[in-house]
Amino acid sequence: MSSRRAFMRSGAMALFATGIAGGIPAFITRAAAAGMPPAPYKKNKVLVCIFQRGAMDGLMAVTPFTDTELKKARPTLFMDPTNGAGKLFDLDGQFGMHPSFASLHPFFADKRLAIAHGVGSPNTTRSHFDAQDYMESGTPFSKSTSSGWLNRAVGLMGHDASPFRAVSITGALPRSLYGSQEALAISNLADFALQTKGNPMAANLTAGSFEELYEQTSNRLLNRAGKESFEALKMLNVNDIKNYQPVAGVVYPNSPLGNSLKQIAVLIKMNIGLEVAFAESGGWDTHFNQGTLNGVFARNVRDFSDSIAAFWNDMSGYQDDVTLMTMTEFGRTVAQNGTGGTDHGRASCSFILGNDVQGGKVYQQIGSLAKDQLEDQRDLPVTTDFRSVFSGVANKHLSINNNGILFPKWEGKALEIIR
Amino acid sequence: MKFAKGILFCLVIIATFGFSSLVDDPIPYKKFGYTPQQAAARLLDRFSFGAKPGQVDAVVNMGLENWLEQQFAANLPNIALEKRLSNFKSLSLSNDTIVNTYLNAGQVIRLATRKGIINRDSIKGDPKEYREQVRVIMEQEGYKPILELHRELVNQKVLSAAYSNNQLQEVLTDFWFNHFNVSVTKNQCQQYVYTYERDAIRPNVMGKFKDLLLATAQHPAMLEYLDNASSVSIKNQPRANMAAPRNARGLNENYAREVMELHTLGVDGGYTQADVTTVAKALTGWTVMPLAKDAPARNLLERLNPAQLERRGFVMKGDFLFRADQHDNEPKTILNKNFPANGGYQEGIDVLTMLAEHPSTAKFICTKLATRFVSDTPSASLIKNMVKTFQSTDGDIKAVLRTMVYDPAFWKKSVSHEKVKSPFEMVISAVRATNAQVIQPFQLFNWCTKMGQRFYYYQAPTGFPDRASNWINTGALLNRMNFGLAFASQKIPGVRMDLAALNNYHEPESAIDALTVYSNILLPQRDHAANIKRLIPLVNDDAVEEKISKAATVDKTAEQMILDKGTKNMLSQVVGIIIGSPEFQRK
Repeated sequence: MSSRRAFMRSGAMALFATGIAGGIPAFITRAAAAGMPPAPYKKNKVLVCIFQRGAMDGLMAVTPFTDTELKKARPTLFMDPTNGAGKLFDLDGQFGMHPSFASLHPFFADKRLAIAHGVGSPNTTRSHFDAQDYMESGTPFSKSTSSGWLNRAVGLMGHDASPFRAVSITGALPRSLYGSQEALAISNLADFALQTKGNPMAANLTAGSFEELYEQTSNRLLNRAGKESFEALKMLNVNDIKNYQPVAGVVYPNSPLGNSLKQIAVLIKMNIGLEVAFAESGGWDTHFNQGTLNGVFARNVRDFSDSIAAFWNDMSGYQDDVTLMTMTEFGRTVAQNGTGGTDHGRASCSFILGNDVQGGKVYQQIGSLAKDQLEDQRDLPVTTDFRSVFSGVANKHLSINNNGILFPKWEGKALEIIR
Repeated sequence: MKFAKGILFCLVIIATFGFSSLVDDPIPYKKFGYTPQQAAARLLDRFSFGAKPGQVDAVVNMGLENWLEQQFAANLPNIALEKRLSNFKSLSLSNDTIVNTYLNAGQVIRLATRKGIINRDSIKGDPKEYREQVRVIMEQEGYKPILELHRELVNQKVLSAAYSNNQLQEVLTDFWFNHFNVSVTKNQCQQYVYTYERDAIRPNVMGKFKDLLLATAQHPAMLEYLDNASSVSIKNQPRANMAAPRNARGLNENYAREVMELHTLGVDGGYTQADVTTVAKALTGWTVMPLAKDAPARNLLERLNPAQLERRGFVMKGDFLFRADQHDNEPKTILNKNFPANGGYQEGIDVLTMLAEHPSTAKFICTKLATRFVSDTPSASLIKNMVKTFQSTDGDIKAVLRTMVYDPAFWKKSVSHEKVKSPFEMVISAVRATNAQVIQPFQLFNWCTKMGQRFYYYQAPTGFPDRASNWINTGALLNRMNFGLAFASQKIPGVRMDLAALNNYHEPESAIDALTVYSNILLPQRDHAANIKRLIPLVNDDAVEEKISKAATVDKTAEQMILDKGTKNMLSQVVGIIIGSPEFQRK
C-alpha cells in the first residue's frame, strides 16, 4: 500500500510540477528523474460538509408552522406562510422555510434539496463544545475517540492518496477530520506557497532545507504536517486560485462561508483528488434579539443560503459528483427566552443538496410541541439520530458500506435520503 | 557565594509571603540531567515569551529560584516598554470615556439619526453612502472610530509581550484572558475589551483564582459578551421609573452555563441543566451601569439618590450595577446547596464563591495550567499535587505554579520541548531572540491571524484551544515558514533587526557555520547537531555551484545572494530557515 501511495504521489508531482517561485525544485526533479509516469487522479465523488457552529435554531429555519404551541411559545419570533411580506416558503403544508432562504428554496422545489428535521445527538449535553465534539467524532458517548467521522470516511473509501483528498477551508483542522488519513486545513488557498522571492536557486535551497528539517524532527505532529505541506505545495499552483473565475453569472457572497465554498469549487474543478471538503459558518448562537424577517438570524440565513446557491450553480458540469450536507451541534429552546433570543436546546435540522438526493421532502418524525411533549419540557426532542443522516449520505453518495467503522457502537439505520 | 545569596533571597521571600514547603530544595532539574543553563532555558521557554540573547546566562547567574520569584513578584521597572506605550491614547481611559468617545455601531447609527444624516426609516439600508458624512460628523463632534481602539489594544499586547521585564505576568495575562475569553467581534462588548484585560485580568493573574473569577464576572465586557447584562427575572417586572435595558424581558442562561463549563467546574464538573437555569436566576440583575451619554437610563440613574438606591438593595461597583428590581428573589438550590429567599446581590457572590472553591474547579484549573506550562497531556500525579496546593491556599495561583515547577513531572525529559508555540508565542519569541525593534506591532498581528490566531477576535467563549493539533496543520505551517523568511529578511514593515550584531559582527565563514552559530543564539541550550548534519549535503551539493551559475545568467542578483556567502542576504535566509524550522516551533 505504501509503495503504491508513493508511486501515485510522485506521478502526480511530476504532472503538477509547477515549482516553487518559478524554478523546478530539486526534490521534484528527483521524483521526475525516477521515471514516474504522470497519473492524474480519477474523478471521485465529493462530499462537501458545512458545520453551522453555535447551534442553528432549526425551528426558525424550517418552521412547523401548523403547530399552535410554537406560536404560543414564541410570541415575537413566530412566522408562518401567510404572514404578509415576510412569509415563510410553504414546503408541504406543515413546514415552512425562512424567507431568507429565497436562493435555496428553488432547489427544494426541483427536488434536489432535502431537509432532515428533528436531528440531533442521543447525548443530551447542551454544551456547544461537547456537542460539536461528539457530532464530529461521531461517537456521542465517547470522548476518547481520537478520529473524526469524515477522516474515517476517507479511510473507508481507500482511494488514491492525494494530499488534497480531505480539505478543510479553516484556520485549524476540524475535529471531523482528525485521524490517520491525511487531511489538510488552510483558511486561504492563495497562501499556499513558500514566499521565497528572488532567485530560484536560493528559493529551492530554502524549500529543500525546510523539507529536510521537517522530515528530521522528532515531534510527530510537526513531522507529519511538514510532509503533507510539501506534498501539497508541489501540486498546487497558486495562480490558478488567484485567477479563478466562477461560472458566468455566479457571484459568491463576500463572507467567510462564501469564500470557503468558492475555494472548494476551485479544488473540485482542479481534479486533484478531493473527496471530502469542510467549511464552517458561524454566528448561530442567537441568545439575544434573533429577529424574524430582519435581524441577526435572517442575515445569517441569507448568507448561508446565498453561499450554497452560488456554489451549486458554480458546480455546473460537476453537480452529478457532488453532494453538500449541513450540520449543527444542536437546536434551540422551543420557547423564546427573556431577551428576544433562544437558549441551547436539542434537535435542529440538516440540509442535503445533490442531484442524487431524493429532495423536495422534509424527513421528520416531529410530534406536538406542547410543553409536556418536549425534552425536559423545553426542547424539540431528537427523533432522528445525526448518524442516520450522515451515514445515509456516506453510504450512497460515497459508496461507503461499513457503518460499524464509520460510527462505532451505533446500530441505527441509515436514512434513505439519496437514490 | 552566589548560591548562599540565592538561598538568602529565597528565605526573605518565603518569610515575607509565608510559604513553607520550598525552603529546603532547589528546583529539581539536576536529577533529570539538566545543566543549570538548560534548566534556565527551559524556564524561559515556558515562563516568558522566549529567551533574549544572553538571558540564559543571566538567569543562571541570579539563580533560577530567584528569577522565578522575581517573575512572581512582577514589579520590575519597565521604562523601555512604558516609553513605547507612551503615545497610546486609549490605555488609561475609563469605560465611561471610551464608550462616549469610540462609538460602536449602534451609537454611530443613533448619532447619524440625530444629525439627520440617516432617517429612521432607512436604518436598515446600506450605510455605505452615509459613511463619509458620518465620518465628518464624528470628527467634528470629537468621536473616534472604534477600530482605533482595537488597534491600540492589539499593539499594546504585542509590545508588552515583547518588551516587558515582567514576562510571566504577560504570559499569564495571555493565559487568563484566553480562559475567560471575551471578543471584540461582539458589538455589545467590544468597547470594554481593553479595560477588561487592564483592570480585570492583568492585576489578578497571580492572585487568588476567586478574585479573578469575580473581577471577570462583574466587568462590563463579560456581562455583555455572555449576555448576563440583559438577563432579568421574569417574576419581577421592571419598575416604571427605571427603564429596562432594551429588550430585557427575562432570563438568559448563557453566562450561567459558561461560568460553570468553561470558567470553573469544567464540563464534567457535576452540574445539571437545572443548575444552569438556577445559577442564571441567582445572577439576574447583574448588569452594567448605563454609560453612553445618550442612554436614557443614565439620566434616570443620575437623578436618583444613591442612599435610596442602596436601601432598595442596588449595588454600584465601578461600572458594575446590581439591579435589585430585576433580581429573582425566590429561594434556590444549586449543586445541592440551598440559597434562601431574598439573597439579593450577595447571593450571586456566594454562588460564584462556591464555584471557585468547588473541588471540580481546582482540578479543572490545575489541569489547564499544567497543559499550558508542562504538556498537552499532563500527568495525573502532577495535577494531584497542584490541586492539593490550590485547595490548601484558597486558590493561590502563584503557589500552584510554584508547586508545578518544583514537581519532578515538570522536568521529565519526555515533556521537554514538546509544547508547540501558539502563533503569538512564536512571533514574539522571534522578536525577543533577535532583539528586533517593533515599530509597527499591527503587522505582527496580521501574521498571527494568518497562522490561525487572531487574538481578541476569537468568537467562542472557549478561547483558543491550547493543543498543538489546533495550531499545526498544513496551511498554518506554511505560514510559519513564510513568517520566518519574511521576518528575517526584514520584509515585514516596521520590524527591524541587526542580525550581524547578534554575533558581535563576526561574519560566519559558510552557510553551515551561520546555521550552527545562529541556531545556538536563537535557540540556546538545544541540540542542533542532527539538523545541521542533515542540511550539510544540501548546502554543499557539488552541483550547487553549477546550478547557481546557470541561474545567475538569468538573474544577476542570484549570484550575489548565494555565492557571496558573507552577505546579509545569506544570513537572513539562514535565520529565516531557523525561525521557520520545526525546532523553533517548540518550547
